[in-house]
Amino acid sequence: MTPLQELSLAEASDGVLAGRAADGEVRSFEVLVRRHGPLMRAYATRVLGSTSESDDVVQEAFITAWDQLPTVNDLNAVKSWMMRITSRRAIDRIRARRDHAPLEDWEVEAPDSDTPHHRAEAESQWDTISQVLGRLSETQRQCWLLRELAGHSYDEIADQLKIPLSTVRGHLARARRKLVEEMEEWR
Amino acid sequence: MTAQPRGPHDEPEGIIGELSDYLDRGESPPTELLDRSPAHRIALDSLLRFRSVARGLLQADADAEPDSDDGWVSRILTNIHIEARAGRSIPLTSSTPGAEFTITEGAVRGVIRAAGDSVPGALIGRCRLDGDVTVPGTPITVAVQASVPWGEPIRAAAHRIRESIAASVRRHSELNLAAVDVTVTDVTRRREAQEPER
Repeated sequence: MTPLQELSLAEASDGVLAGRAADGEVRSFEVLVRRHGPLMRAYATRVLGSTSESDDVVQEAFITAWDQLPTVNDLNAVKSWMMRITSRRAIDRIRARRDHAPLEDWEVEAPDSDTPHHRAEAESQWDTISQVLGRLSETQRQCWLLRELAGHSYDEIADQLKIPLSTVRGHLARARRKLVEEMEEWR
Repeated sequence: MTAQPRGPHDEPEGIIGELSDYLDRGESPPTELLDRSPAHRIALDSLLRFRSVARGLLQADADAEPDSDDGWVSRILTNIHIEARAGRSIPLTSSTPGAEFTITEGAVRGVIRAAGDSVPGALIGRCRLDGDVTVPGTPITVAVQASVPWGEPIRAAAHRIRESIAASVRRHSELNLAAVDVTVTDVTRRREAQEPER
């Protein structure tokens, strides 16, 4: 591949890159990994509450993504699709951590200051957000992260967390009500 | 958990659920719903703001991530199953009795991509071989998605991609090429073209 083509790959749309990767071109997949890896890692870190496992989670997510790419219909939406895979992997980790504990009993630490690279400003905003999210129950927080940051459907969340769809709706409704109340105090 | 009484005081929860349903469907809540009470607009504003701040901060986290080091990237690339993409085996004629030659579908796709990419500014996306390639002589249609350069007639670019692919497939394989379908999925500006002129 010529340097000019390397440059075009770096500027290519997600859809083109995903199509090439689906057909087996590793270079295009590498561009996707470099382009979206950081966001997936940031998300995994927020869900898991630590950076220690997020590298593994994102690596597993990309390996799964490579395998499943040929089955993806909407290649332009590959970014949110990969975020959902990351999310499922992260939830698997959490489930493994608390193997036999019921979901409601999870005591995953709220995303906290275990993020040395952050700009101080973003840090303080995250602190506020984390505090607000921290006042939700664990399941409410998970539902909210899966829905609002990873874009899962209600069905997917129910499937992921192994809880009934109506429970997901209830958790999200309560989470949103609490967040709106907290936001009142921010204004 | 105590049940919330139904009544006027229950409205904030009701409206939040209702607004969230619209947002989840990617729709804007109707104006008459928002106009019914100032609390409705405040609730919508809070929902949107919290979501966008959280998304913005996640992006800030990502931006603050150290550049993916090559070790991390190459660990992923060495662990993916590349061989899984070989696809079907396409027989080649052989004049040597008892010898069988085949080329993989993946290799033909590589030839097609290279031919399409050789058109200036073009980049091939997904590529499909329609027809039973395992039976010699079967008419085969090549269907590709392509990104073409901005500022050029799209039809001309698509035509050049088609010609290039057809010539290359005929040269490199024994497929009975019936057609090459090009679907333009992107029109891209090159970086130098984006620089302001004045």
